[in-house]
Amino acid sequence: MAESAFPSTHQPLRVGTKDDKPATFQKISEDEEYEVTSPTDPTFRTANAAAASSSTGSPFFGGGYGDSSGPIRFNRSPFDDGSREEDEEADEFPPEDIRPTGAANQGFPNNYALGRRTSVSAESLNPTSAGSDSWSPPYHEKSEDQLSRLKTAVSSNFLFSHLDDDQFKTVLDALVEKPIPAKGIKVISQGDAGDYFYIVENGNFDVLIHPSGAVQPGPDGMGNKVNTIGPGGSFGELALMYNAPRAATVVSIDPKSTLWALDRITFRRILMDSAFQRRRMYEAFLEEVPLLSSLKPYERAKIADALDAIKYPAGSTIIAEGDPGDAFYLLESGEADAFKNGVEGAVKAYSRGDYFGELALLDDKPRAASIVATTEVKVAKLGRDGFKRLLGPVEEIMRRAEYEQKPTPS
Amino acid sequence: MPSLGGLLKKRRTKDSQTLSKELEAGSAQTQTSPNAAEDHNQNHHHHHLFHHHHHHQPATNSGTAPQPQNSVPQQPNRSSGAEKTSEGQVASMQSAVTQASPSAHHNSGLPQSNSNAASIQNIIHPSQQGAMHSGSSGHAQAQQSSRSDTRTTKGKYSLEDFSLQRTLGTGSFGRVHLVQSKHNHRFYAVKVLKKAQVVKMKQIEHTNDERRMLNRVRHPFLITLWGTWQDSRNLYMVMDFVEGGELFSLLRKSQRFPNPVAKFYAAEVTLALEYLHSQQIIYRDLKPENLLLDRHGHLKITDFGFAKEVPDITWTLCGTPDYLAPEVVSSKGYNKSVDWWSLGILIFEMLCGFTPFWDSGSPVKIYENILRGRVKYPPYLHPDAVDLLSQLITSDLTKRLGNLHGGSDDVKNHPWFAEVTWDRLARKDIDAPYVPPIRGGQGDASQYDRYPEETEQYGMAGEDPHGHLFPDF
Repeated sequence: MAESAFPSTHQPLRVGTKDDKPATFQKISEDEEYEVTSPTDPTFRTANAAAASSSTGSPFFGGGYGDSSGPIRFNRSPFDDGSREEDEEADEFPPEDIRPTGAANQGFPNNYALGRRTSVSAESLNPTSAGSDSWSPPYHEKSEDQLSRLKTAVSSNFLFSHLDDDQFKTVLDALVEKPIPAKGIKVISQGDAGDYFYIVENGNFDVLIHPSGAVQPGPDGMGNKVNTIGPGGSFGELALMYNAPRAATVVSIDPKSTLWALDRITFRRILMDSAFQRRRMYEAFLEEVPLLSSLKPYERAKIADALDAIKYPAGSTIIAEGDPGDAFYLLESGEADAFKNGVEGAVKAYSRGDYFGELALLDDKPRAASIVATTEVKVAKLGRDGFKRLLGPVEEIMRRAEYEQKPTPS
Repeated sequence: MPSLGGLLKKRRTKDSQTLSKELEAGSAQTQTSPNAAEDHNQNHHHHHLFHHHHHHQPATNSGTAPQPQNSVPQQPNRSSGAEKTSEGQVASMQSAVTQASPSAHHNSGLPQSNSNAASIQNIIHPSQQGAMHSGSSGHAQAQQSSRSDTRTTKGKYSLEDFSLQRTLGTGSFGRVHLVQSKHNHRFYAVKVLKKAQVVKMKQIEHTNDERRMLNRVRHPFLITLWGTWQDSRNLYMVMDFVEGGELFSLLRKSQRFPNPVAKFYAAEVTLALEYLHSQQIIYRDLKPENLLLDRHGHLKITDFGFAKEVPDITWTLCGTPDYLAPEVVSSKGYNKSVDWWSLGILIFEMLCGFTPFWDSGSPVKIYENILRGRVKYPPYLHPDAVDLLSQLITSDLTKRLGNLHGGSDDVKNHPWFAEVTWDRLARKDIDAPYVPPIRGGQGDASQYDRYPEETEQYGMAGEDPHGHLFPDF
């Protein structure tokens, strides 16, 4: 029955109810696990194979069950086993609930791809592997003009929009110029392995797709033109994620044009190295917080995963004295001062690696001081609620090791 | 005659009629488990499950008995001597059976037809085994090393052990064949990977990890790896043949699953993920295509191509586009919580028939949607399901169930799973909602789709430029 893939998408499922006697014949012995036998273990007797197949042929299978002509039938709810109150069952699994409606296409995406989906994978990258310390991203000089054009070209691209300023700059610096000296040059070919992402500096390019999924020999082998890409446009971004076959062919249509190119390994390395360094920094910062000193490494890692990086311009107030405390901050870069009402001048200065507001992890007492950015400041923030969800009540963590409450300005 | 083990194992089967039928027929159990090591391991395994937590065997045992989760059921030399001491009578009676079985291992160098081979090994090896494990009592590092001993000595097979049959599935670097053992005439699935393709796709690490991880795990809802080998061109992995086919096929035929049906499969997957994560293994490729149904309709997760030991964080972008978590798409570095995200996508797909971020077939659009994170829940979804899904399919790692303080219990205790009795489910003591119609008995592959068959000959001699990259195979 497996062969006729999707006989009719409109066939409603029928789910057996308690009246469906056959379903109750199901006996699943927990010994099923034992049925496995080493392939080279010859003690399995053929006679038993017959027994096994006949035991499979229980009454349940005798009644045309699973016939390709019939709809798929499910047993009554697998959790209706009599261990629960009878009347509750009906409430929780009314027949209507178990049966997808006849109008099953309701809300179904158009042309939804029903086939098996292929797994994708980039090459394994590991920041701690040998040689990574000596790696530095490629740098290709660009004019201010070029940089701002490139920035505009990729700023709405999902692969770039989540980068922070440093990553973004490093990535732009790594783009390398690719002059295309003639018309009719295939920059990428449909079906080929993809390694590079391209941004058009000048010139125009046709995008063609052959329905077979790959370029074919012959004059029309590139298929139908679906698009033209001009200056500021880009193509091939999927190659920055993993090695997928190119979905289209892109060919130059001007006698001379210029592209910027970026390969996947460089891109992913830049992202990974910066994320890894930031993470190491977070973990190092967190180790310095006495309140969190009893955290286990995996707990610190969890916190590091969940920190939000936020930027504040110089002069802005990060926390205000008197406000209820709800979050804890690590100062990632820049400088900030603490001020208290009625006290002249800053009571404390903060720089990279310092933290403030950690008492907010304990309760929502009003902030004891205001923290004001004196330069542009980048902080990593974690809310009390998030902290509790990840690690449980702070009190329990504190109970692990005595925490001396130092007079901190928050 | 049924073995003692067979009778004992039957203890939880409720239907006495079935039991007597089996007694007449020479017992299905004898057929299924001729091997003491297996029973022993299973017992421990269940024990292990009930407690959910990793526990070490007492030092007295660890010197001789195999660790449950690293156990190598097909290795008679690991079983007999050890089991007698730890399991008492049952084990020793069964080990007699084991010793009589010439579980030939090609790496043993002993003739496989010699029915004394195994017992000779038993005589030779117990002391070695003892020595190998004696240093490992309770110490994690040492366990690791005993694990790798296991790995290198475990099931080595060859093409001659099997007769190859039809293809059950295909992938980027190879395919899975139904095979029949020439020794016991039982059916297995052999995954064949072309080394050149694995190397070209830069999946050497993932492939070695696949073997390592599969070798480590032992769980009712995970596929069993029996052993591996390689020839000049291919890698081969011998696994259970799981008759019921892919959950994918059932889902597409059904279009979507009723709430309790989806719940049943989701619950089994949840237990499997819980187990994997407790072993610090991240799975990374959850989807209906990778979930097989056994003949009773219970799940087996297959394809460990991206499984990896990840105690904290990992970086490689891999998975299936529809199922990728946002932190994977944005290349931030990620942890085991991506499996919980994928569980959310899986439940959504089972309940709706499509995935939440799918968009006109363009992967780029899928990724944009994943990062945007907006999910439209169809009105027919049960409110509890929507609540669970919204807590799994969230980019906020301080809100994603499974990643929080309560771990997997947060998922299991969610109202949508309220009627699931988890310990019974773990014992497969809950009837599956759908029993695959397997009529042909052993080796019936009718539940699997057909694929064009491989034209290239397996087992070719010749140059092997990549062999050294896969030392474990």
